[in-house]
Amino acid sequence: MATITYDNASCIYEGSDKLAVDSLNLNIEDGEFVVLVGPSGSGKSTALRMLAGLEDIDEGNIYIGGKDMRGVPSKDRDIAMVFQNYALYPNKTVAENMGFALKLRGVPAAERRKKVEEAAKILDLTQFLDRKPAKLSGGQRQRVAMGRAIVREPQVFCMDEPLSNLDAKLRVQTRTQIAALQRRLGTTTVYVTHDQVEAMTMGDRVAVLRNGELQQFASPNELYDRPINAFVAGFIGSPAMNLVTRPITSDGVQLGEHATMELERDQMTKLHELGLKEVTIGIRPEQLEIHDAGKVEVVVDLVEDLGSEAYVYTHAGSGVELVARTNPRTAPKLAETVRLRKHPDGVVHLFHPETGARIG
Amino acid sequence: MSTSIPQATAPAAAESPSAPPVKAKVKRRKFDPWGAVAWIVGLGFFFPVFWMVLTAFKQEVDAYTTTPKVIFAPTLDEFRAVFDQGVGTALLNSLFATAVSTLLVLLLGVPAAFALSLRPVRKTQDALFFFMSTKMLPVVAAIIPLYVIVSNIGLLDNIWALVILYTAMNLPIAVWMMRSFFLEVPGELLEAASLDGASTWRAMREVILPLVSPGIAATALICVIFAWNEFFFAVSLTAVQAQTMPVFLVGFIAGQGLYWAKLCAAATMAALPVVLAGWIAQNKLVRGLSFGAIK
Amino acid sequence: MTTSQLGTERPGVETEAEHVARIKKTQDPGVSRAEGWRRRGPLLPALIFMIVVTQIPFLFTLYYSTLSWNLVRPGSRRFVGLSNYVDVVQDKTFWQVAFNSVFFIVATVLISIVLGLLLALLLDRVFLGRGIVRTLLITPFLVTPVAGALMWKTAMLDPVFGIVNWILPGEGIDFVSSWPRASILVALVWQWTPFMMLLILAGLQSMPRDILEAGRVDGAGAFQLFRELTLPHLRRFIELGAVLGAIYLVNTFDQIYMMTQGGPGTDSANLPFYIYQRAFLGFDIGQAAAMGVVVVIFTMIIATFALRLIFRSFTGKEEAA
Repeated sequence: MATITYDNASCIYEGSDKLAVDSLNLNIEDGEFVVLVGPSGSGKSTALRMLAGLEDIDEGNIYIGGKDMRGVPSKDRDIAMVFQNYALYPNKTVAENMGFALKLRGVPAAERRKKVEEAAKILDLTQFLDRKPAKLSGGQRQRVAMGRAIVREPQVFCMDEPLSNLDAKLRVQTRTQIAALQRRLGTTTVYVTHDQVEAMTMGDRVAVLRNGELQQFASPNELYDRPINAFVAGFIGSPAMNLVTRPITSDGVQLGEHATMELERDQMTKLHELGLKEVTIGIRPEQLEIHDAGKVEVVVDLVEDLGSEAYVYTHAGSGVELVARTNPRTAPKLAETVRLRKHPDGVVHLFHPETGARIG
Repeated sequence: MSTSIPQATAPAAAESPSAPPVKAKVKRRKFDPWGAVAWIVGLGFFFPVFWMVLTAFKQEVDAYTTTPKVIFAPTLDEFRAVFDQGVGTALLNSLFATAVSTLLVLLLGVPAAFALSLRPVRKTQDALFFFMSTKMLPVVAAIIPLYVIVSNIGLLDNIWALVILYTAMNLPIAVWMMRSFFLEVPGELLEAASLDGASTWRAMREVILPLVSPGIAATALICVIFAWNEFFFAVSLTAVQAQTMPVFLVGFIAGQGLYWAKLCAAATMAALPVVLAGWIAQNKLVRGLSFGAIK
Repeated sequence: MTTSQLGTERPGVETEAEHVARIKKTQDPGVSRAEGWRRRGPLLPALIFMIVVTQIPFLFTLYYSTLSWNLVRPGSRRFVGLSNYVDVVQDKTFWQVAFNSVFFIVATVLISIVLGLLLALLLDRVFLGRGIVRTLLITPFLVTPVAGALMWKTAMLDPVFGIVNWILPGEGIDFVSSWPRASILVALVWQWTPFMMLLILAGLQSMPRDILEAGRVDGAGAFQLFRELTLPHLRRFIELGAVLGAIYLVNTFDQIYMMTQGGPGTDSANLPFYIYQRAFLGFDIGQAAAMGVVVVIFTMIIATFALRLIFRSFTGKEEAA
C-alpha cells in the first residue's frame, strides 16, 4: 500500500528566511497520479524532493504507506525519481543505468538483464541498451530515465518536470505515454510541472501551489469548474480566465461604459450580504461569446486565428481587457465594436476583491 | 490525378542504415602567415632544449666550439660517463620521491577535494582559504627549522623527508584543482545514485570517480612535474644518498676541463622524463592547468 | 487579471516570520553538527597533514627569530627578543634583495603574460602542425628549472661558446656577468610563458563564439572585438595566471643558484636565496629566521588581496556568460 501523506510538512532552505514549503497537507491514494503544479518558486519541486528524501523535512511529517519518513535516508525509501535533466550515469551504458539499483540490491545478473530488457521493450529502448547516454537524443535519454525508474518497481514514482527539456511535439507524445504507463503499472506517482496543460491532462488530482502554500487539491474538472480562489482560476486553463476587479451595479458588474456583466440572482444576493462595493469576476474566454444581445460592449484589439478556433482580444471603455473565443470564420475585424455575453452554459466566477477567495 | 511522387528521402534518424552519404570534406589548407610566425616562435622557444639534447650526443671537443656545430659524429660516451658518476642513485631517488609524494597527494587530496565540493558548510571557505594560504607562505621561511627538525629526527639525507615535503608542497594546488573537477559533476547524479540505493562511498566509486578520473590524472601530472623538478628542498636537505636529479646535476658542474657535453647529457637525463610525460599527456596537462579557470 | 492576496496570513495565526523562527528553534543542533562533521570528515587527514608540516616549522621560525644563534659558534644561543628584526630592517642588503625579489616577480609576470597572450592568440588559429607547435611551446615549463637555467647560462649566453653571442656581431658579451638580473629574468620568462599561454588559451577557447558574432554583426572590427569582448573575458584567466605565477615566483631559487649564485655579491640575489645564504652558508640562524618572518608578513599582506581576488572570480559561482 503506497499511500502518501504530507502532514503539515514544511521546509526551509539553509540560510534562507523564507519557507520553501509551508505546512503542506496532502493525502494521496495508492495508485493515484498526482500532479504538483505552480509557478516558479511555488515550492512544488521542493515538496517532491522532500518526499524523495533529497530535502530535509523541517517541520511536520511525510508518511509513505503509513510509515514515517522523517530521518529515513533516500536510499531506504524505495522511491524512484525521474529528474528534469535525467541524471543518467554518463559512464554506464543504458542497460547498466537501468540495472544499477538492482545491482546495488544484489539482484543476480541474469535476473537484472531480464528485468532491464522487459522495461526496455515497454519503452522501445531495446536497440540502445549497449549505448552510453552521450550517444542518445534528448527523447531517448528521457526514456532511459523512465526506464531506470520502472525497472525498480518502487512503491512511488517521483517525476520532476521530466518533459520540460523536450521539444513541443515530443512533449505531447511522451505525455500520453507516461500517463498510459502509469495506468498500466498502477504505481503511486507524484509529478511536478509548471505546465498546467500537463497537469490537467495527466493528473487524477492536481495540487496547485503558490509561494510554498497549497491553494487547492482537486480533480482537474473541479479545478476548472470551481477554482477556490482567483489565483487558481487564473492559473488553470489556457488561455487564462479573464479576471477583473470592477464596481458592482444593480444588476451585475460594470466593466465599462455600455459594458455590464450581468450576474445571477443568488450571486447578487451574496454580494449584498457581504457588503462589497466591488468584486473580482472571472469568466473563461471559451464561455464568453460574441452576440448582439450581449450587454458588454468592447472594441477588438487583436484576433488570433488558430484554425480550429479564434481568440478575440478586446477592451471595454474603461480599459478592462477581455478575451473571448469565437469561430474563425465569423471572427470580427480589428477595431470593430462588438458585444459580448456569457455563454448560456457558462459561469461567471466571483472572488473577493482583496483576499481572492471564492464567493459562492 | 497526376501527382509527382516525392523523392523518398532517407530518414534522418541515426538508426537508419541508409543515411545519405556525407559530402567528402574538402580540406583546404589556406596558408596562414600567422601559422608560420607561430612555427618560428615555437622553434625558438624550444631551441635551448633542442640544443641541450643535441650537445649531449657530442664529443666534448665538438661541444666547445665558438661556432656552434650542428653536424658532428654522435656518441653515447658522455651518457656513459654520467652513469659512471652515479646518476643511477639520483634517478631512483627522484623517481621514488615523485611517485610516492604524488600518491600521497592523491590519497589525502581526493577526499578533501570531494568534501570541499559538496554543499558548502560554512567552514568550507575557511578550509579552502587555509589550503591556498599555505601555498602563499614562502618556503624559505620554514627551511631553517625544517632543516633542524629533519636532522633531529634523523631524516637528513633521507628521501622520505623529501616525500613528505613534496606532498605538502603539492597538496594545496591538487586540492584546488580536483575540487573544481568535482564541482563539474552535476549534483543530480549523486541524488540519483542515492535514490537508487547507493551509499556515498558506493556512489563515489561507481559514478563520481570514473567521471573525475581524467581530472585526477591531470592533477597527478602537475604534481609529478613540480615534484621531479624541485630543487630547493632537495639541495638543502640531502647530500649524497638521497640526492635527486636536480641536485645531482648541480653537483656535476666541475670547475675545470671540458665537460659541457657531459653536462648536457646529465641535464638531458634530468629533464627528459618529465618532458616526455608532459608531451604524452599534453591534453591532460592543459586540462589540468585550465582547471578552475574554465569553470 | 488582478492578483489578490491569498490568505497567506490567516488572522489569529502566526506570521510567516514567526513560523520560520519557531522551526529554526526546534532544529536539533546536534544533528546538524554531526552532519557537518560527516561532510567535512574526509577533509581532515589532508588538513591535519598540512597544519603539521607547514605551521609547526613556521612556529619554530618565529621562535628562532628571537634568538641570536649562529651554528658556527656553538653555545652562543640566547634570547634576544626583537633585535634580529631590528638588524634585518636596518640591513641595506636585505632591502636591496627584497627589491630584487619584487623585481623578478613583477617583471616575470608582466612579460610572460604579454608573451603568453600573444602566443595564445597565435595558437588559437588553426594552422598546419598546430599541435606540434603547442608541444614545443610547453616544453620550457616542463624542463627542470636548474637544467633550463644551466642551458641559458652556458649554451646560450656564454661569452665564448654561447649561441646568442654567435648570432650577435662583435665581441662576445658576458651577459650573465654584466646583466645578472636580466639574464635570470630571461630564464624565468622562458620558463613561465608557457604556463600563462596555456591559461590564456584556455580562456580564449572557452569564450562563447556567439558574442563575437553579435559584435561583428554590430559592426566591430577585429581589434575592437579583441579590446571590448575578448580581453574582458580573458581578465579572469590573466588574473589567475598572475596570482598563481606570483605565488610560485616568490620562491624563485633555482635560476639564481645556477646562474649567478646571487652575484656579483648580492646584486642578483632574491629573498629566498639571500636567506639561504645566511642560513646555510653563514650559519646565522637567528637572522635568517627573522628575515623569513618578515618575508612571510609581506607575502601575507599581498596574499590577502590576491586570495580575495581569486575567490571573487572562482568560488564555483559562474558569472552569467
